[in-house]
Amino acid sequence: MRKGFYTKLAVTNLRKNAQTYYPYIFASAATIMMFYNMMYLFTSRAVRGMNDSQAIRLVLELGVWVIGIFAFILLLYINSFLIKRRKKEFGLFNILGMEKKHIARVMLIETAVTALVCIGLGLAAGILFGKLGLLLLLKILRMDAVYGFEVPLRAVVVTVLLFGAIFLINLVYNVFQVHLSKPIELLKGGNVGEKEPRTKWLIALIGAASLGGGYYISLTVKSPITALLLFFVAVILVIIGTYGLFTAGSIAILKALRRNKRFYYRTGPFISVSGMIYRMKQNAAGLASICILSTMVIVMVSSTVSLYAGLEETLRSLFYREIQVNSDDVIPEEQIGRLEQAVTDTVRQSGLDIRNPFILRHVTLLAVRDGNAFTLVRAASFGDGDNLALLIMTTAEEYRRLEGVEAGLSEGEALIQVIKGEMPGDTLDFGGYTLSVQGQADFASMLRGYEAQKDSLPAQGYLIVTANGEDLLRVRKALDPEKQHDPGYNFSYQFDTNAGRDAQLELVSAINASLDELGLPGHASGREGARETYLTMYGVLFFLGLYLGALFILGTVLIIYYKQITEGFDDKERFAIMTKVGLSLDEIKRTIRFQVLSVFYLPLVMAVCHIAAAFPVIRKLISGIFGMTDVSLYVTCTALTILVFAVCYALIYALTARTYYRIVR
Amino acid sequence: MTLLEVRNLKKVYTSRFGNHQVQALSNVSFTIEEGEFVAIMGESGSGKTTLLNILAALDAPTSGEVLLAGRSLTSIPEKEISAFRRDRLGFVFQDFNLLDTFNLRDNIFLPLVLAGKSYREMSERLLPIARTLGISEILDKFPYEVSGGQKQRAAVARALITHPRIVLADEPTGALDSRSSDELLNLFGEINRQGQTILMVTHSVKAASHANRVMFIKDGEVFHQIYRASKTRHEFYQQISDALTVIATGGGRDA
Repeated sequence: MRKGFYTKLAVTNLRKNAQTYYPYIFASAATIMMFYNMMYLFTSRAVRGMNDSQAIRLVLELGVWVIGIFAFILLLYINSFLIKRRKKEFGLFNILGMEKKHIARVMLIETAVTALVCIGLGLAAGILFGKLGLLLLLKILRMDAVYGFEVPLRAVVVTVLLFGAIFLINLVYNVFQVHLSKPIELLKGGNVGEKEPRTKWLIALIGAASLGGGYYISLTVKSPITALLLFFVAVILVIIGTYGLFTAGSIAILKALRRNKRFYYRTGPFISVSGMIYRMKQNAAGLASICILSTMVIVMVSSTVSLYAGLEETLRSLFYREIQVNSDDVIPEEQIGRLEQAVTDTVRQSGLDIRNPFILRHVTLLAVRDGNAFTLVRAASFGDGDNLALLIMTTAEEYRRLEGVEAGLSEGEALIQVIKGEMPGDTLDFGGYTLSVQGQADFASMLRGYEAQKDSLPAQGYLIVTANGEDLLRVRKALDPEKQHDPGYNFSYQFDTNAGRDAQLELVSAINASLDELGLPGHASGREGARETYLTMYGVLFFLGLYLGALFILGTVLIIYYKQITEGFDDKERFAIMTKVGLSLDEIKRTIRFQVLSVFYLPLVMAVCHIAAAFPVIRKLISGIFGMTDVSLYVTCTALTILVFAVCYALIYALTARTYYRIVR
Repeated sequence: MTLLEVRNLKKVYTSRFGNHQVQALSNVSFTIEEGEFVAIMGESGSGKTTLLNILAALDAPTSGEVLLAGRSLTSIPEKEISAFRRDRLGFVFQDFNLLDTFNLRDNIFLPLVLAGKSYREMSERLLPIARTLGISEILDKFPYEVSGGQKQRAAVARALITHPRIVLADEPTGALDSRSSDELLNLFGEINRQGQTILMVTHSVKAASHANRVMFIKDGEVFHQIYRASKTRHEFYQQISDALTVIATGGGRDA
């Protein structure tokens, strides 16, 4: 045979399978574009030149990996679907006298053409839109736009290599698929009369139990540390639960619906329910994956969006005042005086005023509470996060200075205020040294700061007032007898200046310089300085969240599209028979709408359930780890993300239902 | 009483670009009385299937008319055509056309479900039909669990359950072995004796010999027809066979 024959055949094949191949080409080109774009940002000079380029590039590199892996999985999945549909075609070639090596040759040309088109289109689009991505990133990071156009060679090479490899793997898989099967099987394709699936009660039960367990963890978790430890357990339980429920639970539910005669024997349910019982056998895993994927997309996007949007709130809860100076550890009273003086002097030298000063001498410890007894935290005991207690201890003198109230305590006595958790009891035991509780303290001004941070605290938090410094020292010694303890306090000096951004930044570095010079163990930091760091980090996370969100939506939608097309081909014959028996076109349309709708929205509804259940644990995580404490903002962001997701979904639904209808008709 | 009247039916298929025409039916006219069992015979390409599709309202004639109980099929609006097909006509196909996703009971219920009947009514209607057809025991089985003959009997039950005016059967014995064919044809005879009008398209002389009347179609026209009258089935078989031979060897028309 002449050479041109194979090429011609390959191109004709692609054109003939347009309904399934065009979306594949589109998907490949889109993922290639997105991968190249992320690669471009990662390698571009513009990003390398940024202030925090290391942190930014770290996140971008993560993005490159995620997109690469996702593209790999997605394209492999779509390909396996495509080849399944085409087995019949290849079987016919085989029977008509083409040897398998000839078929392999046709496949090679097909793949080469597809790869060339996809990589070409993807790279072209990537180079075109790369700059747009960069400008968006700069905008999010509130940086100035850069001029000039670059095409990093490394980005192009990596993209071509990765996707070349993916196409090659697909080709090898396809050749194997054809090679392994007999022509008669190829001709039959996938449609062999399948038996009705049994209800697997055990799996359904395990699924329900795992899901319940996952939800229970999320709903009952108390502290961010426990949340962090148990989060992945909960995620895995929910994943198991989702798969169990979709595979076994769905069939159990459908069969129950079928038993309900008044519901079942109506046109819509009759056709859909019966069909879906079979459909679920092949599709349950896919639907469960879509559900998990959607959940992850929504969580990721809403978290990163709310972190970025809640930046100001976060800064305010991390810094009660514009500037804060903290001692590095417990320091003696004499050093505290010099530190305070140094700060005051530096502020005055800068020509600024100290406003709203807040000064606190305290000793803050992390302890494990067991009833009335507190023991010092050792690294290994982090496991029981729900007993973890933050102890902020100060003296009666400080209490009087701050709140103007005389505590009236003698040694061995204490006042206590609960920030979070439950009241320990009448006595407090610190490794053998006991304080008797004389009553409640009321740190009105201080508590305001902690109120906002409640979520980020460990499970419990207490403010404890002791009679004097000596008594406090005794507590420290009793808690940690092996260490040498000197009298003194942690010192915290916080204040506003009402100066501009640059003046504040300068002041912070001036204070740090002066402390260094004087050899004082303290460190100043400010809201303005932190804003830059946080903005970069949250900004690039936000960017990545949006970007991956878009990619995952694309993936989800494609998986569903292909799923529906497969079903359409399977249903074609059923609907033909039903038309002959007297099913009208209108009824077909209505049934299809019902069926496609349920397949489409089932994973989304389940995903929303997951998100609702995960809300407590995720809130604790983002407040505990990222300091984002604005709950209503997080709720708004989540709701908006779900809305956007649902709208994308609805658009694709309309398209899919139409394609499905066209196939079936 | 005349149930079905076909008048000067003509069907011309035009290829996509309109440059090539195929005449499937040139001029077909006949009537079927209520309670008749009529077989239509003809070679492949004689227009049998086209005729059946037009009678089933699945296809529209180029010209001519089909009247079922005095009502013209072409006058039925598009919206009602499915309901009409469902309520007035019963179909039996060569390859059964049962749905694998339903058990036999639900397959039989399908047209009634589409018509919006209640479960109780469906069950009540099914009972006598299932008994007549001898499938009461296997109603809960799925199509892939039963034999071809049983499948076809379930398909007949599906055709009968709507109490149609006429049952249209397209090669109903085509996919059955000879024993199942005999059983099915005997059933057709019995159903017909109970008053059901049946129109059957077939290749098989044996199948046709079970009818009261056989029409032969050739080149898109009704070429010839013979009545069984009081002949035995064997005699009728012989007569049909002879008629076919004459037609096949290009014999002249005799009416």
